[in-house]
Amino acid sequence: MKAEAKRALFHTSTLPHLDRLVTLASRWGHGQEAEDDVQETYVRAWAAFDQLRDVEAAFPWLCQILRTVAAERYRTRARRQELAFITELEKAHEELVASDEPSPLDELLARRDASMLREALRSIPEEFAEAIELHDMHGLKYREIAQVTSVPIGTVMSRISRGRQLLAGLIALRGQEKESRRVGT
Amino acid sequence: MASPSEPGREHARLEELIAGFTDGELSWHQDRAIQEHLRNCERCGRELALQQGVSRALALEAMPQASATMRQRIEQLRPISRRRPAYWSGRWAAGAAAALALIAVAGEVVLGGHRGQAGRPIAEIPMLRDARADCRRAMARNFPRKADLKAVAEGLDFQVRALDTADAELFSTWKTTIAGSPAAGLAYRWRGIVVVQYLVPHEVLEQQPEVGEALRGAGFYAASELGQGVLATVANGCGTVLVADAPPEQLRRLIL
Repeated sequence: MKAEAKRALFHTSTLPHLDRLVTLASRWGHGQEAEDDVQETYVRAWAAFDQLRDVEAAFPWLCQILRTVAAERYRTRARRQELAFITELEKAHEELVASDEPSPLDELLARRDASMLREALRSIPEEFAEAIELHDMHGLKYREIAQVTSVPIGTVMSRISRGRQLLAGLIALRGQEKESRRVGT
Repeated sequence: MASPSEPGREHARLEELIAGFTDGELSWHQDRAIQEHLRNCERCGRELALQQGVSRALALEAMPQASATMRQRIEQLRPISRRRPAYWSGRWAAGAAAALALIAVAGEVVLGGHRGQAGRPIAEIPMLRDARADCRRAMARNFPRKADLKAVAEGLDFQVRALDTADAELFSTWKTTIAGSPAAGLAYRWRGIVVVQYLVPHEVLEQQPEVGEALRGAGFYAASELGQGVLATVANGCGTVLVADAPPEQLRRLIL
């Protein structure tokens, strides 16, 4: 392929994903850090562009490179310090599905603050948060997530399932805390 | 410790598949088994609602944008050819991805043509906000591969009828939920662009802020944000929302 054609193909197949990559990168670093990671991703993607067999699968491919870039900087580990207490979230999820009362989840989600879900995503374990973010926010299919994260499809499904359960538990807990504060004041 | 009974094990096995069921990722047999199980298992019904609720909320999350300087830096890595590559016109997925990039920057709104009164941003109108989010997800997945109007109409209490325009080619259909209401999504190739149509109960569309007034006045609602057009109207007793990377004036030709 001629250099000019290759450049054009690179841009048309990768640049439309720029904003989504910045969103994804912001889970490992903020602001300038996230942008630096994405820029590094594009530099590596350009160098390896010949290895991309299907340009329609450019986004999962870019995600894979971005993960490597982020992992090299050891950012994923730092995030774990903020993790919520998992057993509490599991208990809150259990209450949501076992109760006969109408679930408060829909109302809590409808009344959520702009940044609430993104902050909640940062508080559940990385592997669950990443799987649901790639699926629900970026529209990747299970097999694409399996490819990006190098795990079997069954594991992807279980991570998505458990990730949403923990997220729901966290939202319910925060809703209860807010309500207690309101009643207390 | 007592081991779980056979029905208990079966329940646990099926409960683990609910996320896959929510996301349309199961095999036909697994899908049937879950549907059967859901008829009698209230707990799994609640788990399904939970999975759907969280997934929908995440799909509506606003995404940050790359800064202009960063975009520039990346473009300068290898400057874009000014010539439009042949690849562009031939690949629907690339077109969809470009449209996606436009959708992803919702929030910074440039209003182009509201027929309503207040010029409210689309993101503040639940049905249109959800339609755009669903459109973004469908595009990101390159759309479901089937176009089956009969299957998509099953269980809906309104008519699902495709656009009656000779040059619009229906290539994908799917069921979805828009503003809490069941809806049908239909995707067409039309004059070099992808147009997504959502069919919804007309009363739900008429209840949407600003849209209802526009429907009662001009008979349609039209808006444009960052090059993406949205057109809503009621046709054949059914609410219709069109979303495409085209001005709403152009979309009117499809339906009015």
